[in-house]
Amino acid sequence: MSASLAPECDEVKERYDSCFLKWYSEKYLRGKGTTDECAALFKDYKRCLTSALKEKGIDKMLEEAREDHKENDAANLRRR
Amino acid sequence: MVKFYESNFSYDYSFPAVTLAYFLRYPNPYSTHVLSTDVISREVDANGRLRTLRIHRKSSRLPSAVLKLLPKSVLGNISGGKSESYILETSTIDVKEGWMHTESKNLDWTGILSVVERQEYRRHVPVDEGDDFSIGAGTTGVVTTVKFRSRLGERFRARTARKDEVEEEPKRSFLAAWSTGGIQRSIEAIASRKTESQLGKSKEGMKVVLERLRRGGLVAVLDGMREDRKLNFVHE
Repeated sequence: MSASLAPECDEVKERYDSCFLKWYSEKYLRGKGTTDECAALFKDYKRCLTSALKEKGIDKMLEEAREDHKENDAANLRRR
Repeated sequence: MVKFYESNFSYDYSFPAVTLAYFLRYPNPYSTHVLSTDVISREVDANGRLRTLRIHRKSSRLPSAVLKLLPKSVLGNISGGKSESYILETSTIDVKEGWMHTESKNLDWTGILSVVERQEYRRHVPVDEGDDFSIGAGTTGVVTTVKFRSRLGERFRARTARKDEVEEEPKRSFLAAWSTGGIQRSIEAIASRKTESQLGKSKEGMKVVLERLRRGGLVAVLDGMREDRKLNFVHE
């Protein structure tokens, strides 16, 4: 599995990734996956990742990028 | 000022296999510059589409040819020696309609150069492929477009204005305006050339992962990843 940007999150990430791959390949791709069964594992991973992103100052970069996305989305909607 | 690049390609693998390979494409032997991949959010929306937001960390920086073009005043602002950068990737998959849309863009140095890569994957065989996605039934087409935009000068002026630095604003003569435009165009051209070779590598990387999937399913992909990750550590 790919590494996490924060080594301390590697373990929870691996657990979540394994769960996701199983769900994705066995259920979602066969049209049976309507809900995400790995939500609990994702919550653990997310908690770890969020604090790492904050520590490295990446959270601000992300916010800016997502603002751009919203602007683009709004512009696209207007165009339609 | 915007520059475009576009290409078409077809994978000899089924659509489900290609989407799986997309999620699993790092690490591979062609991606030693990708250090990590994290999922920021993921949801199945009301239409049953899977939407994923990921962040990749890469051990790359602005091409040295670009760095040479930049005025010292800008270089100081962007810490040009930084050896890591981040890429934000969004993907939406509709497994029933058989398409996947992706978008990747850089999060660093966006004031100097922003690169946005979009890919549209489409299932080529509309017939039922059965349940076994690991067998390469059907093909999958992909259209890749990359947009380069250098906003050098624009953002920089905005930033100094914000800081309220009373730096003397040079008179924007016709010639000065032209040379900024010239640098922007050069940066876009360099990035465009670099991207062409990079896109070739990411295609090769996808093929390696797809071949592992065909040969031995998920287990083979994960084994391969483990090996590639070891190699990456040696490189670091």
